[in-house]
Amino acid sequence: MSLFVASLGFGLVTASILAIAAVGFTLQFGVTNILNLAFGDVMTASSFIGYIATTNGVGIWGAVALCALFGAVFSTLLNRLLYTPFVRHGTKLFGMIVVTIATSLIIQNTIQAIWGPSFFSLKFSPGGSYHIGSMVFTSSQFGIMAIAVASMLGVYTLLRYTKLGKAMRATACDPALARSCGIATDRVVDVGWLVSGALCGIAGIALAMNVTSFTSTTGGTFLIAIVAAAVLGGVGQAYGAMLGALTIGLSSEVAAGVIAPSYKQVVAFVVLVVVLLIRPQGILSEVAEAKEVAA
Amino acid sequence: MPTSSAERPPQVLEVEQLVAGYGGAPIVHGVDVSVGAGEVATIIGPNGAGKSTLLKAITGRAEVLEGSVRLDGKDVTGRRGDQLARAGLGFVPQVNDVFGTLTVLENLEMGGYLLARKDVAPRVEEVLTAFPALCDMRTRRASKLSGGERKMLAIARVLMLRPNVIIFDEPTSNLAPVVARSVLEDQVRVLANSGSAVVLVEQRASEALTIGDWGYLLVAGRVSVSGPAAELLGRDDIGELFLGRETKPSPALNEISP
Repeated sequence: MSLFVASLGFGLVTASILAIAAVGFTLQFGVTNILNLAFGDVMTASSFIGYIATTNGVGIWGAVALCALFGAVFSTLLNRLLYTPFVRHGTKLFGMIVVTIATSLIIQNTIQAIWGPSFFSLKFSPGGSYHIGSMVFTSSQFGIMAIAVASMLGVYTLLRYTKLGKAMRATACDPALARSCGIATDRVVDVGWLVSGALCGIAGIALAMNVTSFTSTTGGTFLIAIVAAAVLGGVGQAYGAMLGALTIGLSSEVAAGVIAPSYKQVVAFVVLVVVLLIRPQGILSEVAEAKEVAA
Repeated sequence: MPTSSAERPPQVLEVEQLVAGYGGAPIVHGVDVSVGAGEVATIIGPNGAGKSTLLKAITGRAEVLEGSVRLDGKDVTGRRGDQLARAGLGFVPQVNDVFGTLTVLENLEMGGYLLARKDVAPRVEEVLTAFPALCDMRTRRASKLSGGERKMLAIARVLMLRPNVIIFDEPTSNLAPVVARSVLEDQVRVLANSGSAVVLVEQRASEALTIGDWGYLLVAGRVSVSGPAAELLGRDDIGELFLGRETKPSPALNEISP
């Protein structure tokens, strides 16, 4: 029982990182209709920015802010300079997936060319350990969970209660109709990339904080879990991604703790398949449905 | 209703010699269409005549190759949808006419996106008084509305900005006959009576001409006939071809056949 509870603790931290990343990933698809498979590699790039910052004396929370800024700017530029020209030339969803895979490989190999295939660790102190029952958390893990909760509340408030957030949801639903309401959709899409990019940057450094070491492929590997969480929640649906992240994060860590670490991914994806068998459109799926209607 | 072009009110929307299509290939060839304040200009025609392409070209969704679109005297040819909304043009598409993932209230708020923050809520209440059926559905997701309710919401959303010109693309498609009649008579016609200029593209040609002031028959991307709506409604050739009436063939029939 204590092993199960302890695993829940690990699961909460993993789910927190996954939630930040999955919401960012699904927001990009929701607002722009681009399934950005380079997301994991932008996370890796952020981890390296965090590494540079922390090895040069920047505090860990300052590095988190720097990574958020890097992710936001890098993702927005990626969209403006690379993805948007393809979209304007009429490249469709599947063509864009190939473009994002190519981008992923370019980023990953560039990082490897610069840093090599070595393992890296952030230079920071994870702080003291705290026990809650059988669960053990470090200060930095509490920080990660706090950032995740704050990010989720921020995204929820943005999408639910602000004019800009509603315009983002309207643009995600039907860009042409949004334009006919007077919404400058290009600007809204830019904001979408800024917000999702910031989440990507935060997730990148949070992932690096939670593992003993990372490489040029760490983010790319984590992408599988991000996509799973997003699909589970209903692609394009931010609230769904939060639920998906919680489901995948908790189930994988509990499986690792209770059964064996090698079952971590197996159980997570069995959960994904079972949920999708019962509810093929994902847990919350309005955006996906609307996109199917619009297409 | 005007009986000649001289009796028509000053034209708010003027489309002149418009050539439009997709990928450089024209579908609409040199079309002239206009509408004045308080008027319903009805555009009818067979499937594939270019009606939807014409509307898409006017509303910035299709490529304009030649010609011009003027709104209140200003050239708005090829402008984007958001620029046209700012210029006073409202558009109710045939399908995907509401934001399905947003609630009724949020749809109206998006309709009033260009209004000052303090003016949105009062305007929502004002618009809802014209659509009392929507009052109890404010928090309902638009995707859960019936076809008639959805169309009502689409019209209410467009009215949020008080546009000078409202364009309807087949507003009665997929609606039951009784609901369709209500949309045309109680909403489209009433809007024109309140001073808006309305362009109406409709497959229910007879009903659309009945509530219209001026009619255009579009065939193979060209305006084949235009005139007072009542006159088009009374023509035997048009009646037989497009309004479902059975009459003996007339020479004019050949003139308008594609």
